[in-house]
Amino acid sequence: MQTGTKISIAGHGLLLGWAALGGWFQSEPQPFAVQEVSLISAEEFARLSQQRQAPVVAPDATVLAPPEESAAPEVSVPPAPRPEPDVAPERPEPLPEPTPEPIVEDVPEVEPDPIVRDTPPEVEAPETAVVLPPQPEAPQLTPVDRVAPVPVAPPEPDVAVDDVVQPEVAPEDGADDTQEVQEATAPEAANDRIVTEENRAEEQVVAAPTRSVRPKSRPQRAVAEAPEETAPQSDTAVERSAVEDALAAALAGGADVEAPEPTGPPLTSGEKDALRVAVSQCWNVGSLSSDALRTTVVVGVSLAQDGKPDVGSIRMLSSTGGSAAAAKQAYEAARRAIIRCGSRGFQLPPDKYAHWRDIEMTFNPERMRIK
Amino acid sequence: MRTYLARLAQICLTLCAAALITAGAASAQSGPLRIEIDQGVIEPLPYAVPDFIPDDAAASEYASLIARVVATDLSGTGLFREVPASAHISKITGFDDPVKFADWKAVNAQALIAGAVSVNGRQLTVRFRAYDVFAEKELGGGLQFSGTTDGWRRMAHKVADAVYSRITGEGGYFDSRVVFVSETGPKNDRRKRLAIMDYDGANVQYLTNSDAIVLAPRFSPTGDRVLYTSYETGFPQIHVLDVGRVQRRILSTDDGIMSFAPRFSPDGRTVVYSQSQGGNTDLFTMDIASGQRTRLTTAPSIETAPSYSPDGSQIVFESDRSGAPQLYVMPATGGAAKRISFGSGRYGTPVWSPRGDLIAFTKQNKGRFHIGVMRTDGSEERLLTASFLDEGPTWSPNGRVIMFTRETQGASGRALLYSVDISGRNLKPVRTPDGASDPAWSPLQN
Repeated sequence: MQTGTKISIAGHGLLLGWAALGGWFQSEPQPFAVQEVSLISAEEFARLSQQRQAPVVAPDATVLAPPEESAAPEVSVPPAPRPEPDVAPERPEPLPEPTPEPIVEDVPEVEPDPIVRDTPPEVEAPETAVVLPPQPEAPQLTPVDRVAPVPVAPPEPDVAVDDVVQPEVAPEDGADDTQEVQEATAPEAANDRIVTEENRAEEQVVAAPTRSVRPKSRPQRAVAEAPEETAPQSDTAVERSAVEDALAAALAGGADVEAPEPTGPPLTSGEKDALRVAVSQCWNVGSLSSDALRTTVVVGVSLAQDGKPDVGSIRMLSSTGGSAAAAKQAYEAARRAIIRCGSRGFQLPPDKYAHWRDIEMTFNPERMRIK
Repeated sequence: MRTYLARLAQICLTLCAAALITAGAASAQSGPLRIEIDQGVIEPLPYAVPDFIPDDAAASEYASLIARVVATDLSGTGLFREVPASAHISKITGFDDPVKFADWKAVNAQALIAGAVSVNGRQLTVRFRAYDVFAEKELGGGLQFSGTTDGWRRMAHKVADAVYSRITGEGGYFDSRVVFVSETGPKNDRRKRLAIMDYDGANVQYLTNSDAIVLAPRFSPTGDRVLYTSYETGFPQIHVLDVGRVQRRILSTDDGIMSFAPRFSPDGRTVVYSQSQGGNTDLFTMDIASGQRTRLTTAPSIETAPSYSPDGSQIVFESDRSGAPQLYVMPATGGAAKRISFGSGRYGTPVWSPRGDLIAFTKQNKGRFHIGVMRTDGSEERLLTASFLDEGPTWSPNGRVIMFTRETQGASGRALLYSVDISGRNLKPVRTPDGASDPAWSPLQN
């Protein structure tokens, strides 16, 4: 029996025990939330209430927003900057000011705002207005030869261009002579799409999206016939049915499974993504024909334990979407990607070697056609 | 208690079944790891082309020249990037010597072109091999071209075409020519004459003098004839010129009727053109052998700039029947036309790609001109350029590159030829001795 199966059964056994015996133990009641209060007399309450009345009201105080409204806690986004008020209102007590601008105490009343603005002052935003986050600066597209999934800034002048990012390692004074010197490397500058003369001009002019994506409509639900009214099944019947289904699924699934070879947990999605990214960095489709860019190829490869591909094992397993000549070109590009980026060994967990020894990579250029 | 035990047994059975399923799933992952890669990079493919090996002393002159033209062709596409000779670790010393792939991998040359040249009298022979460095194998078999020493550039272009084809999987375009209108003099007194050159601007020859204004030359499908419009008689008429013998004649049209914008059918037997009479412009075809004409359109609007589809079954043209110039497609024999351009602005000078999948066009919108491409049904419109004045696209023989006219602003502005990849990359000027406009790309030469 496999180790994984044993672990699984042991785990399920524990779960079973908890399900069977867990109910015998009484759980502790949830603690009550307690809040301390203090009692005051009616006179004290009346005095406190009287103090909240404003003793003096400025003539133009009515233009100010009521403190209660301004203190409304529904704003979860940064408040919109408001124009400086023309009058410094007298306030009975220092309530929290919703506007971030400090009030200058010695500004004479009814003094016009001395700041000359290019645009008319903004009208105070309504309470329901949503303050947009600051517009990020649109990335300036520069014409570089390379297009990659993620834009890459030009490397420093003294950094060598390579597919792999690695820092410079220089021998320190007095350090061990065996320390390996390593040159700093970084990928070549790249945009995330092809920069044409036309879209470069557009990028410089347009600072904000001109349209938003229309929300997708709710998917059409298949029209199903109204379920017939049936008598509710008993709990026992439902559970028996579930058991039978589970057993049937287990037996059906097990029938076409070959003897397992790898042991231990499979690769995590993060480990698979790292491999995917590593190969994609060398998958250059720039020199492929239009026909080859419509061709998806599945390539098989075996890796050594150090993560390096066995060049002789690379073969095309299947292709779809293009002619045989296009499939050949697409396969050549895929093979170059595997060999180039695997020349130093793909970074894969050694303890899971049995899971990644043989890999089938599907190279699908559909998304690259629209770059 | 009994009920409780029965419930316990059912839970146990359920969990055992789940364990079996889990085990099955685990064992199902025992096959090869499967990943899908749908993101890659688009960048020039690095290659190396060391100087070709001269087999004799007379070949030394050409060995380096041919290698340089091959490199210029390949790098000029924007799809390839040459690894400079200064970075080479290995030297190719013998054409049949084994290649030290490790040395070429070390400089990241993914393709290697090795060649040799021999000269016998005026006979020049060029042979070459291309290698996939990382696969450590030859790309196709070796090839050899022979010709006169005068044609060394053409042989270099043929080598480059073969390499391009083996790496990209599509035909090349280097051994081709371009006919265009050469322009000299100031804007208010511009003198125009027909000229022909290699695709890269070399070997310019003039086909007409500058006595009359000439416009819109178009190659025949075999590249041996050129149609163009000339004002020699005072109003536009269509001429046909034999490129090899530099002989021309006027295609028979009615006197006093303006004919222009001609283009050959894919079989070279028919010419489609515009004819203007009484303020109305319509499309006609003419059988070159018999001179028989057929009217294709009868609309009261202006129909012009016709271009055949590669299979000769359809024609795309420009018409202002909707109020502004737009693009339409109709059967080559005439009939109902279907509008395919619907974007803002004015569309004109459509040209069907030799591959048949795209139509290139000129677009004017918001005071700027663009060269763009769209699918033949009008979908997937993409603008590739933007400038003060871009117009008149023509396709390379493989449908990968578009050449067009770009005119600069102002009294001293001049027209020049530019080319751009259909992806919008690699926009660059084409070298010409003077101003140039109205380019038309030939098919690949034999």
